Amino acid sequence: MANIASQRIKREFKEVIRSEEVARCSIKVELLDDNYSQLKGEIAGPPDTPYEGGKFLLEIKVPETYPFNPPKVKFLTKVWHPNISSVTGAICLDILKDQWAAAMTLRTVLLSLQALMASPEPDDPQDAVVARQYKGFPEIFISTAEHWTNIYAGGSRKKEEYSKKIERLMGIGCNMDQALVALSGCNWDLDKAIEQIFG
Amino acid sequence: MMAECTINDNIDESDSDYSDEDFETYYHPMEYGDSEENHNPVDAEDPELFPVECLTMEQVEMFLNEAVNSVCHILNINMSLAKLFLLFNNWDVEKIISGYKLDITSFLISSRVLPTLQSQQQSANIDDNDCQCEQQQPGSGNIINDNVFICPVCTCSSLKSLGLCLECQHTFCTECWTTYVEVKISEGQSTEITCMAQNCNLLLQEVIALKLPISSYLKLQYQHFAFHNYVISHPLLRFCVGPNCNVIFKAKQSLAKRIVCPQCKSVFCFKCGDSYHAPTDCATIKNWLTKCADDSETANYFSAHTKDCPNCNICIEKNGGCNHMQCYKCRHDFCWMCLGDWKGHGSEYYECSRYKENSETANESAKARAALRKYLHYYERWQNHAKSLKLEEKTLEKIKDRINQKVMNGSGTWIDWQYLLDAAALLAKCRYTLQYTYPYAYYMNNESKNLFEYQQAQLEAEIENLSWKVERAETTDRGDLENQMYIAEKRRKTLLKDFFQT
Repeated sequence: MANIASQRIKREFKEVIRSEEVARCSIKVELLDDNYSQLKGEIAGPPDTPYEGGKFLLEIKVPETYPFNPPKVKFLTKVWHPNISSVTGAICLDILKDQWAAAMTLRTVLLSLQALMASPEPDDPQDAVVARQYKGFPEIFISTAEHWTNIYAGGSRKKEEYSKKIERLMGIGCNMDQALVALSGCNWDLDKAIEQIFG
Repeated sequence: MMAECTINDNIDESDSDYSDEDFETYYHPMEYGDSEENHNPVDAEDPELFPVECLTMEQVEMFLNEAVNSVCHILNINMSLAKLFLLFNNWDVEKIISGYKLDITSFLISSRVLPTLQSQQQSANIDDNDCQCEQQQPGSGNIINDNVFICPVCTCSSLKSLGLCLECQHTFCTECWTTYVEVKISEGQSTEITCMAQNCNLLLQEVIALKLPISSYLKLQYQHFAFHNYVISHPLLRFCVGPNCNVIFKAKQSLAKRIVCPQCKSVFCFKCGDSYHAPTDCATIKNWLTKCADDSETANYFSAHTKDCPNCNICIEKNGGCNHMQCYKCRHDFCWMCLGDWKGHGSEYYECSRYKENSETANESAKARAALRKYLHYYERWQNHAKSLKLEEKTLEKIKDRINQKVMNGSGTWIDWQYLLDAAALLAKCRYTLQYTYPYAYYMNNESKNLFEYQQAQLEAEIENLSWKVERAETTDRGDLENQMYIAEKRRKTLLKDFFQT
């Protein structure tokens, strides 16, 4: 079993390296150990989305039963998205669960994740807070996701108002991550965020 | 009222009615009484009557094979395909035959044997090949030359003669198929294993799966899981819910009736496999139990710690000992006990007898409170009867002790006191039904609700009478007690007859 797994990963690794997406810097895979069970992935935030301009790192763990079972993938870069946990980076995507097919590859996984970033599925959420904001306050969602992309993934868009609010909270003893999570979850209502952190 | 007219019937029947279905079958059963099938003219109208057969695995296999063989025979197809059709169509042979004859292609597509965009011509050949064929079209682009292809799973080249594909023509090497099927079986899958290609949901049939060179242990596992799937999908079969119990029940109709397992004594509903729930139906009891699981804690907290301000209806939590409350919103002064204006509480501090139902349910929070109050009404009664059932179990233990003592002291024989056990068994049975009338009433919303609640009240009254008499069994006249048993059971049956729709 393990034999097929490493053989497949070796091949796929080459496939990704050679693919046109790499040429366009849109996806990337890196090996972390010699037995092909741990990889690091990277995808570019898709254009015309709040994630544009960001680089998102992924942890990819290949099970022994690969490719008959899906790889375990999660985001290492923090991201504000209804189907990705803003805390743990866990991903809710059907092809990483029951819709996985043995004929799929790392390349299809990375491209599917990119597609997921471009079109979230708020009715099947991983992060309920984000999903609620996505449905109820789409404009706040977009600017929040842009702000997160700016802070964690190197995107260029951000809101001065948000930065100031984060600084206010940091001024009273919060760390940056804590302030950002609280404010994002409270639709940037400073009082509510303070209450959530200190209440 | 129907509930009234039966009281004066022949009391002697009560003995034969209750004796074989005792308390034990509800709690920690020891012997099985084939009660529902014991023939008594009255039982013919028993709303709970439900004849079932207990089958062994071999008998079930024979029963399933009858359906499989008839489909094979009529449609002239192989057994594996027939099983797949049956699995997908609730084992409805007629539906399969008419569906198949009406439009073979779309039937095969909906059974996940043919891919959705497949030509008519290929589907016509399904009978004479086992869905096994060599790759014929260069569709997937994996062909190197006429004899060799690259398996997209292991990425190795392989002889075409060693490849295997379903009707979808997605070819993979036998080695990959084998490993794949082994992995899936060890995850508990069998009949649900699909093609390995992306977005292809064609099913791998039993005959193909078992031809692969997988270990004989996994083959057995596959057959075991497949058998499980067949039984679960069959509307007339039901596994016993008891842990490690192998009994399989077979009924003539799929109804929400009571099953008592003769082997492990589990009691459950045939249709849904949950605890028996007459007069409530399967869907309603599911809603109710989910609701209870979600709501009860919050609801209990609300009812214990909060009240609505009688003036502005805002929800108020009591956070101190003083019963003189002032609403933080409207500044209304009131008494926590009676919700009356505090002004009237001057000298007679706690004469709070002036409680009146608050009819002002105008705003949202009051509506929510009213809904909660309704729910709590039913929930409390539901819980209370559940508790009573537990307590009466203890009463049964005491009765047993006392009977033992009496028999040891020479006052009567075991048989003389048997009627006490029957009474306790009947009490449990009646109270169990009573408990399940509350979810029914909660979701009930039509004209017959009055009649239902009337019958429910009658049943409840008789059950409490019976409970009273059972607890005081030694000082109660035997005739009196048996009369009470008879009345209670009649009330229960009448209610079920009128309202238990399976």
